[in-house]
Amino acid sequence: MQIRKLPTLLINQIAAGEVIERPASVVKECVENAIDAQATQIDIVIEQGGHQLIRIADNGLGIAEDELELAVSPHATSKLQSPDQLAAIDTLGFRGEALASISSVSRTKITSRPTRDGKTAESAAVLEVEGSRLNPAYPAACAPGTIIDVRDLFFNTPARRKFLRQPSTEFSHINEIVTRIAMIHHEVGFRLTHNDRKVTDLPPKQTRSQRVISLVGKDIRDALLEFTYEDLEERGGAKLWGMAGLPEIARSTNKFLYLCINGRVIKDRNLIHAVREAYRGLIPPDRTPVAAVFIEMPAEDVDVNVHPTKAEVRFRKPKQYFGLVRNAIRQCLLDHDLMPTAKLTGDEAPVFKAPVQEKVSQTEATQAFVNYFKDMAPKQKGFAYQEVRRAIETEAAAQAPLLKDQYMQDVTGKEVIDTETGEVLPTSDVISSESETGSATDMGATDVATPSVMGGLTSEPAMNLRPVKILQIHNSYVVTEDEQGILIIDQHALHERIMFEKLTARVLGSANKEDAKPLESQRLLMPEILDASEREQDLLEELKPLLVRLGIEIEPIGPQVVAIQAFPSFLYSRKVEAVPFMRELIDKALDGAISVSDPSAEENALHEVLDMMSCKAAIKAGDNMTEDQLAELLAQREQFERTSNCPHGRPTSLRLSLKDLEKQFGRS
Amino acid sequence: MKVICDRSALVESLNLVGGVIVSRTPKPVLSCVKVTATDGALTLCGTDMEVAVKLTTPRVEVAESGDMLIPSEKLIAIVRESIDATLTIEATDEAAKITGQDSKFTIYGYNIEDYPPIPEYDGDPDFEVSAEELHRLIAMTIFATARENSRYAINGVLVERDKNKLSVVATDGHRLALAKGMCNSHNDTPQSAIVPTKALNLLLRLFDDAEQTVAVKIKDGQIMFATEEATLSTNLVEGNFPPYADVIPKDGDKKVTIATDVLVSAVRRAALLTNEESKGVRMAFDQAGLTLSSRAPEMGEAVIKTEIDEYVGEDIEIGFNPQYLLDALKVADESQVHIDMKATNKPGVLRTGPQFLYVIMPVNLQ
Repeated sequence: MQIRKLPTLLINQIAAGEVIERPASVVKECVENAIDAQATQIDIVIEQGGHQLIRIADNGLGIAEDELELAVSPHATSKLQSPDQLAAIDTLGFRGEALASISSVSRTKITSRPTRDGKTAESAAVLEVEGSRLNPAYPAACAPGTIIDVRDLFFNTPARRKFLRQPSTEFSHINEIVTRIAMIHHEVGFRLTHNDRKVTDLPPKQTRSQRVISLVGKDIRDALLEFTYEDLEERGGAKLWGMAGLPEIARSTNKFLYLCINGRVIKDRNLIHAVREAYRGLIPPDRTPVAAVFIEMPAEDVDVNVHPTKAEVRFRKPKQYFGLVRNAIRQCLLDHDLMPTAKLTGDEAPVFKAPVQEKVSQTEATQAFVNYFKDMAPKQKGFAYQEVRRAIETEAAAQAPLLKDQYMQDVTGKEVIDTETGEVLPTSDVISSESETGSATDMGATDVATPSVMGGLTSEPAMNLRPVKILQIHNSYVVTEDEQGILIIDQHALHERIMFEKLTARVLGSANKEDAKPLESQRLLMPEILDASEREQDLLEELKPLLVRLGIEIEPIGPQVVAIQAFPSFLYSRKVEAVPFMRELIDKALDGAISVSDPSAEENALHEVLDMMSCKAAIKAGDNMTEDQLAELLAQREQFERTSNCPHGRPTSLRLSLKDLEKQFGRS
Repeated sequence: MKVICDRSALVESLNLVGGVIVSRTPKPVLSCVKVTATDGALTLCGTDMEVAVKLTTPRVEVAESGDMLIPSEKLIAIVRESIDATLTIEATDEAAKITGQDSKFTIYGYNIEDYPPIPEYDGDPDFEVSAEELHRLIAMTIFATARENSRYAINGVLVERDKNKLSVVATDGHRLALAKGMCNSHNDTPQSAIVPTKALNLLLRLFDDAEQTVAVKIKDGQIMFATEEATLSTNLVEGNFPPYADVIPKDGDKKVTIATDVLVSAVRRAALLTNEESKGVRMAFDQAGLTLSSRAPEMGEAVIKTEIDEYVGEDIEIGFNPQYLLDALKVADESQVHIDMKATNKPGVLRTGPQFLYVIMPVNLQ
């Protein structure tokens, strides 16, 4: 065999193997080129999933006629001039491989009418390339910008062609790519057409949030929460913006989780993990949140030159960005009410929807009418009522009946304009609302277990003074009401969540790590004996520091046998048996779900075990609860953040809003 | 069979026998009380196949002897609700007739042949013990049994006898109660048996006359307690009781003596600020006294300083579940208790006199 230098075509074809995998890669490369050429509108036409035709037309700067041939030769680019630019890349492309690769494996036609220094060329030039054959460029008529036609992709690499999938599959890849790019370039308009059918039409000059909503789906607009975060200059000056979907719209694929770094959609396991981490305990583990995260960071903090398709990047400080993303999203989720809405069957039936939309103006008019009368309502009455309440509250607090008289004077003093009847009204208000409030407080005292709740209630508006109605259904669900409607609570899920929060706060520390302390553990008079193989014993030895924090103490006492010396006291009182519990823990550890290999794994493991503990210790579905217990459970619900989902991510509560009820009963 | 009974005496007896009878059982005969009339006496029997109680009712007049099964729940309800001073119970072919002055009940029973045999007490007892002593021994230990536990045989109480010394032991794995007493032995071989908790609870109610002497016999996996009127027999818990002697520490070098009521009050107060996740009460002993402290996150904390009568040894801080302490202090029959301790993570031993000892495992406090 003789060693020879490979012909250019072959080199390009080999390179194409890396860069051009499938039609979607062509779209990606060309669209990115168009964006680098400052296009504001990009039209993508696909036929037969790109098997037949991929056409990308932009209105960008274009390619000068005399540069056309150079553009299709390898390692030719306008984007990179010197090696030091490589460290801080701010264009999407830079390798100079795309056009060369594409043209080497397809029949490519490039039509371009360039604009240079604000001046657009008189006419466009066309270059046709078919594998290695370059036809001389010829002039043509064309709008300013570039049109790239790629036909018969992989016509000269049959092996590759054979691996192309169904047109529909290939198109879905193209669609995905376009979506990802459009996500970032919200200022650029995109039109995607497949077999003459318009698939995507995104207008130019959208804002970031408009673009995210247009892409993720208008129907879930309300389920997206916007968040921003700016790092301090000295901490690296990263900027974060994004939209996070409510836990209830989490999907089973990670297709709806978009990560963008410095204007590039990337895949990064670390950051995906960070997002999932932020949703920990809010969504089931097999789901991925819907979210778009945009990070702007100093270009030197990230290396994009690690992967030919640039889908992966490498961070200089991966941990810092992990924390940044996780905290920003977690904070955003904490700040919002995440309770999912209960859906009634036949909710939002389209039959009713249409007329409602038509009536918009009418509704507005009605609303205005209502508002008018609201404004017109006798001011004194409302004022008097407010005063009464305040008076009663102060009275209740200070036990000073004198205040009431004072108030009466107050009212009469100010009620100059009102008639005699007007004076009577507030007086009767005094009596009725006083007795109401009084009885409510009495009942509250009997119904609500903890005094702290009572304290909280009295300081709140009168509406909340009424005793909360609580009903346990089928010994599994708790139904109650709040200002917005009906709450349906899964007793096990909620109790589990509350326990989990309490335990995590104790073990991990609530505010700072210093107040973290191990679970209280009860030592055993006689150790409980657990069979454990050598491997399991090693594993337990490894987990020892973790177990100590969890109040579990285990010692090997012989071959194949370990002794449980201490076990969390609350688990005992909740009748959780030590041996089966440890068995399950070991099995999870064997599966790798619990490990202490690094700090983040250790935290995961802690969560995992605390989760197990709270699940086992919590009230089960089917457990009868007394009224006091129910009230206590609901009171605790208020105390903890993130009670909307159980630690497994299932919702703990559903809300049926009054609005929905009214709609369903045809009262709206 | 026909008997005329004093109603109030019958209510009392039925309540005792009813304690063993379970109302929901796959074998309906077990939901019945067996009523036997012999010359001059009426005997009631109940069993759940584990525990059997046989009780002779006083103040009856037997007109015709015989026996029958009557559903216990209904019989008890009828006898309790009746207003007569006496009731007549009569057996017909298939039913029991209960007749009062203005009432007549007919309850369908079951065939007497289907009723399981009730163990008969016969022969000499292994030992005899006064009802008062038996009461004390059981009350001092039964609280420490495990309520639901499959481990070992600790959902029963161990009764051990060597010559005329009786020891009763109960544990739930976190604490252990040991009470010692005397008996009148008729058997030189040491004996031990694990008696189920349910039987002992019944025993406490059955032999409530302190003057009585209870004869005890252990035989064929059963233990029988008998007086002239009543017999209680139960299957023993099979299995091994944990080697309790090994877990009673003898090396406690920090010894405290404290007035029982002072300690009870202090522990009860400290327990007010504990919750499910932070049950433990921290107890710091030194020459100056005992400081108890407790803390429940988001609730608050308590500190109680009390005097102690005597303290020997270095200072120590140790955590205990207050309920465990109170359980034992409740049965302590002396005005002073002694607690021996070794270290923060080693058990404490609480003693009142030579007859009661209680081992309590600490809670790890941080």
